[in-house]
Amino acid sequence: MRYAGCVFPKVPALSVICLLLATAVGASGAGQSALLEILADELKRNFEALKKADPAPYYLAYEVTEEDAEAVAATFGSLQSANSNRSRNLDVTIRVGSPKLDNYHRMQGDFAQFTAGIAIPLEDNAAAIKRRIWLETDRVYRLASQRLIRLKTNTQVKAAEEDTSDDFSLEEPSDFVQSAGKLAFNRNEWSAKVRKWSAEFSKHRGVLSSSVTALASQQMRYIVNTEGTRIQHGRGFARILIGAFGKAGDGMDLSATDSFEAESPDRLPKDEQVAAAVETVGKRLTDLLRAPPVDPYVGPAILSGSSAGVFFHEIFGHRIEGHRQKDEAEGQTFTKSVDKGVLPEFLSVVFDPTRKNMASTDLNGWYAFDDEGVKARPVKVVEDGILRTFLMSRSPVRGFPKSNGHGRRQPGAEVVSRQSNLIVESKKMVPEEKLRAMLVEETKKQGKPYGLYFQQVTGGFTTTGRRGLQAFTVIPLVVYRVYPDGRPDELVRGVNIVGTPLASFAKIIATSDRHEVFNGICGAESGSVPVSAVSPALLVSEIEIQRKAAGIDSPPTLPRPTGAGGGQ
Amino acid sequence: MKAILLLILAGSALAQAPVEKDVILRAMKDEIARARALRLVDEPPYFVEYSLDDGAFYYVHASMGALVGERDSRERHPRVRIRVGETKLDNANHIASDAYRGSRFDPFRYPLDDNYEVLRHCFWLATDRAYKQSLEALARKKASLKNVSNTENLADFSTAPAVKLLLPAVRRVVDTRQWRDRARELSAIFNAYPEIIGSDVSATVSQTTSYLVNNEGTEIRFPDNLAYLRARASAIAPDGMKVYDLLDALAPEGAQLPSHAELKAAVTRVAENVRAMVKAPVGESYSGPVLFEGVAAAQLLAQTLSRNLSVSRRPVSDPDRPINIPTGDLEGRIGSRILPEWIDVVDDPSQREWRGRALMGYYPVDAEGVAPKALPLVEKGVLKTYYGTRTPVQGVESTNGHGRIPGPMGSAVPLAGSVFVKASQVTPAAELKKKLLEMGRQRNKPYVMVVRKLDFPSSAAREDLGRIARGQSGVQVSMPLAIFRVYADGREELVRGLRFRNVNARTLKDITAASDDLTTFEYLENGAPFARIDSGGYVVGTSIVAPSLLFEDIELEKIPGDWPKPPLAPAPPVSE
Repeated sequence: MRYAGCVFPKVPALSVICLLLATAVGASGAGQSALLEILADELKRNFEALKKADPAPYYLAYEVTEEDAEAVAATFGSLQSANSNRSRNLDVTIRVGSPKLDNYHRMQGDFAQFTAGIAIPLEDNAAAIKRRIWLETDRVYRLASQRLIRLKTNTQVKAAEEDTSDDFSLEEPSDFVQSAGKLAFNRNEWSAKVRKWSAEFSKHRGVLSSSVTALASQQMRYIVNTEGTRIQHGRGFARILIGAFGKAGDGMDLSATDSFEAESPDRLPKDEQVAAAVETVGKRLTDLLRAPPVDPYVGPAILSGSSAGVFFHEIFGHRIEGHRQKDEAEGQTFTKSVDKGVLPEFLSVVFDPTRKNMASTDLNGWYAFDDEGVKARPVKVVEDGILRTFLMSRSPVRGFPKSNGHGRRQPGAEVVSRQSNLIVESKKMVPEEKLRAMLVEETKKQGKPYGLYFQQVTGGFTTTGRRGLQAFTVIPLVVYRVYPDGRPDELVRGVNIVGTPLASFAKIIATSDRHEVFNGICGAESGSVPVSAVSPALLVSEIEIQRKAAGIDSPPTLPRPTGAGGGQ
Repeated sequence: MKAILLLILAGSALAQAPVEKDVILRAMKDEIARARALRLVDEPPYFVEYSLDDGAFYYVHASMGALVGERDSRERHPRVRIRVGETKLDNANHIASDAYRGSRFDPFRYPLDDNYEVLRHCFWLATDRAYKQSLEALARKKASLKNVSNTENLADFSTAPAVKLLLPAVRRVVDTRQWRDRARELSAIFNAYPEIIGSDVSATVSQTTSYLVNNEGTEIRFPDNLAYLRARASAIAPDGMKVYDLLDALAPEGAQLPSHAELKAAVTRVAENVRAMVKAPVGESYSGPVLFEGVAAAQLLAQTLSRNLSVSRRPVSDPDRPINIPTGDLEGRIGSRILPEWIDVVDDPSQREWRGRALMGYYPVDAEGVAPKALPLVEKGVLKTYYGTRTPVQGVESTNGHGRIPGPMGSAVPLAGSVFVKASQVTPAAELKKKLLEMGRQRNKPYVMVVRKLDFPSSAAREDLGRIARGQSGVQVSMPLAIFRVYADGREELVRGLRFRNVNARTLKDITAASDDLTTFEYLENGAPFARIDSGGYVVGTSIVAPSLLFEDIELEKIPGDWPKPPLAPAPPVSE
C-alpha cells in the first residue's frame, strides 16, 4: 500500500537531522566549489558514452548533498550523546526512453527506485570522486534501462491509462552558485546547556524518561544536469528538542514536548526561554499524568494555529501532491477537483518555499531550488476555497505539464512532489477571545456539555492510498475541555482525532487573527524533508475523537531509586 | 594489557565490600540488589544480570587517497537479563522469549557521564521491562509446553561459579590525524593499478570497558579493546568475472597493528593479487590432491571445524510454528572420530600470546561472566565436546566459558577463542610439496593444486557471494582467492573462478599430512555466512593456529556464471 506517512518528530529524534538557511546569496561563479566542476566533467563524460548505448539516456543529473552536522543530547542532567557527522552523498538520475515514456513511468507494484545516495569522498579529490560517480552511473543506467524494457512489454502500460501526460517536463536550466556556509556549533557549550536544562526533569517524579537535544547542521546541495543546470546552494538549521515521557496509573503512555527551530544556533531562543520551556514541559507531563482520560466525543472544537497547521498538512497537503493525481493506486481525492471548491471560501492556501520566516520565527520548509534544480516559487493552490493547482515536481499530471519547484527528496530516495511552507490565509478572522466565545456559543447550540481546545498536537499520519481508508489521525498532546458554564478549562489525556478529510474541511466556521508556525520533518516516499505549516487557529463545528489505547503494561513495579549517592 | 588479573572464585563476602569508587559498578550493584524485591504474580526473578559496554570508537574510511568518512563516538550499550521460574524451566529458550509488547522507557544507549543517580534510573527501568518481559515469556512457554512434548529434557540454565574480576580500563588517545593520513596513503596505493575499479581502506579503533554484574556475586570490569585495518580491492577480468582480495589486519590495540611499512607492503600484495587474478586463466574442474598452505589451512579449519562446534539450543515453540534449525555437520558426533588420530585440537582463550604476538582469541571472561580454560576439543582425532555456554545443549550441559556474544532467547552464542591444531605426525613444509607432486604423479595428473588463501572473512558483496554459491546446497566453504596449479617441474600457475565441491567437516577425516610449521590466522567472527565483513552485529576476535594440510582428494569446480558486463563508459583517468 502506498502511503504518505508523515511524522513530525516533535519528540527528539537524533536520527533526523535537518537543514539550514543560507546566509549569503552569492553571484554566479563566486565561491564555486571544485566539486561542481568535478560533477560537471563526469556528467559530460558519462552522458557521451551512454548516449551510444541502447536504450540511450536522454537526461542525466547528479545531485550531491553535503552535510556537516552536530548534535548533543542530555537526560536528567547527564550527557547522553554527542555526535558529529560529515557526509557527502551522491544521487544519480538517468532517464532513458523519451519524456513521453521513460523509466520513471508509474506502474502499479513496481516502484521506480534507481538512486542509492552512495557516499563519495569528503575531499575534492577528482580521481577518487570520479571513480565513484562512474561506477554508480553505470549501476543506475542498468537499472533504468531494465525498467524501461519491462515497462514497454507491460500490458498495463499499453492499456489505456486515464492520465496520458508525459513522464518528464521540460524546464529552463538554472545557473546559481552560492558559497558554502560554516557550521558554528560549540559542542562544549551546548553540552553544558543541555545537561543543565535536562536536570530540571529530575524534579518531576512522574517523568520516566526525558531528553533535551540541541542540533545544528549546514547543508550544501550541488546539482548538475545535461540540460545545463549548475547549482550550488545551501542552508543552515538548528533545533532544540525537549521531551518528557511517563505512564499514567492505568498504563497509558503520555508525553509532553516542545521544540525551537532556527536557521543557525545563534538564532535559537535565549537560554532563559529554553529553561522555561523545559519547566513547562515537566509540569505539563505531571498534569497530564493526573488528568482524566477522555471519552469518545463528537462536537465543536478550536484547533490552535500550530495544531491547525498539522491538520492542513495531513488532511490537505498530502492530497495535493502532484504525483498522487497520476498514480492509479492513489485515492486521488482532489484529482478532479481543479477549479472547484474544496475549502470554505474564506480560506486560501499557499505553499511558499521562498519564505524564510514568519514574524520572528524561521520557517523549516525554505529552499532556493528543489532537488530537480527547479527554482522555488510561491504556489497558490487554493484561492478563496477553489483548488487551482497541485504541488508539482517534473513529473507532469493531466493539465499541469510543468514543475512548480516542489520536487524534493532526502539523499538516496527518488524525487516526488512534496510540501514546503504551507500557509493558510483567512478572510474570516476574529480575535482569539472572540473565537473562544464562538466555541462556547456553538457548544450550547449543539447541546454539548463541553467543547474542546487543542493546544498542541504532535503530527500524525495519513493514508492516501485507494485501498486504505481515506482517513487521518493526528496525535494531540495537550487538549482541554472548555465548559460553556464558565468553569476553568480541564486538561484531558489520551485524545486521538479521527475522521475523513473531506468532511472535516466543510466544518471550519472561522479562524483567529494570529498565525502560528509548526516546524517539522515530513516523511513520505522520497524520505524526510523539512517543512512548515503556518495557520491561524480554527473553529470547527464538529470534530471526532477517540481515546487512545492504554499501554498494556503497568507503571514500574519498584519505586524510583532514591538518588542519594551513598552506595545503598 | 598488562593489568593484573584478579580472579577470585565464588564465596567472597560482597556485603562487606567498601563503598565502590567506580560509579558505574556502584550503580549496577545497588540497583541489582533491589531487583530481588520485584514481585508480580508471585514469581520473583531467580537470576538477574546487568552488563554495560562502555565504548569509545573511532572509524576512518578512505578511497584512492581521499577521505570518505570518519566517525568518533562514545557509546554505552547496556544489557539487562532476568530469569523467572527455575533453572529447570524458565522464560528462556522459547520462541517468544524476546518478545515484549509493553512500552520501553529505558534508553538503548546509556548516558555518558558517570552520574550515579541517572545510571541507577536507567537500570531501574530496564530491570522493570526485562522482568515483565520474562514473566510474559514464561507464561507463554508454559502454555506452549501444554501442547508440545519436549523430548530433549534439558534444563534451561546451568550454574556457573561467581567471578570477581576487576581490571582497570585501558583507553588511549587516538591520534586521528595519523589515522586519516595513514588511510589516505594506503588507499592511494591502488591508484597505481588502473585495472582495479573499486578499492578502499578503513580502520577502526574500538576501546571498550566491559562491565558485568549478576545476583550470584559475579562482578566484572575488563578492557575489551580491538583495532583493525582493512584494505579491499576489486577488478573485472576480461570475461566479466569479478575478482577481489582483502587485507584484514587486526590487533587488540591500535599500536599493535603492523607498522605502516608492513601495511604498505600488505596492501600492495592485495593490489598485486587482484592484478594477477585479472590476468589469470579460469581454472578447470579438478579432483585430486590439494595442499592447503599456511593461512588457507587455518581458514579451512575455521569453517569446517571450529564453526561447526557451535551448537545452538533448539527453542520451544508452538505446534503450529515449528522451528527449522539445520543440524550442524558435527552435531551428535561427540565420541566419534572426526580427524586423523594423530591430530589433537585445543581451544585456549586464556592464552594471551603465541610466539610473542598477542592473540585475538584471548578473553578473560565470556559474555556470561564465565572464565574460560584450555578446552580439549579433539583428542587423537576423536571429538570430545562442543563450545558450551550456560544454556545446556545435548552433550554439553554446563558452560566451558565460550558464550562469547549475547544470543537470542536468553542464550549466549557459543564461539571459538584461540584454536590450536596440533599434529603428532608432521612433515617438513618443503617435503609436503614434494609429497603433493608425488601424489599427482601416481594419479597421472597433469598438475596438482595448492591453495594459499580462501575468501574468509569475505569482502564480497552479498549478491556476488550469491552468484558464487549458485547451485550449491548446504553450508559451503568459501572460494579460494589464491589457488595455483603446480606442474610436475614445480612451476606454479595462478588460476581463478574455482570453488570447492562437497568440502565440509567430513573432509577433515581424510587429511593425509600436516606440516611441521604452524601459521596463525586471525579474524573477527560475526556468525555471518563466510564471515562477510559488512554483515554488522557483534564481532569477537578469533585465532586459529594450525599446520599446512595435505589432502589426497579434493574436488574443485568452475563457478557457473553469467557475469555482469563491464561498465559501458570507460573508466575516468586515475590522475589528472
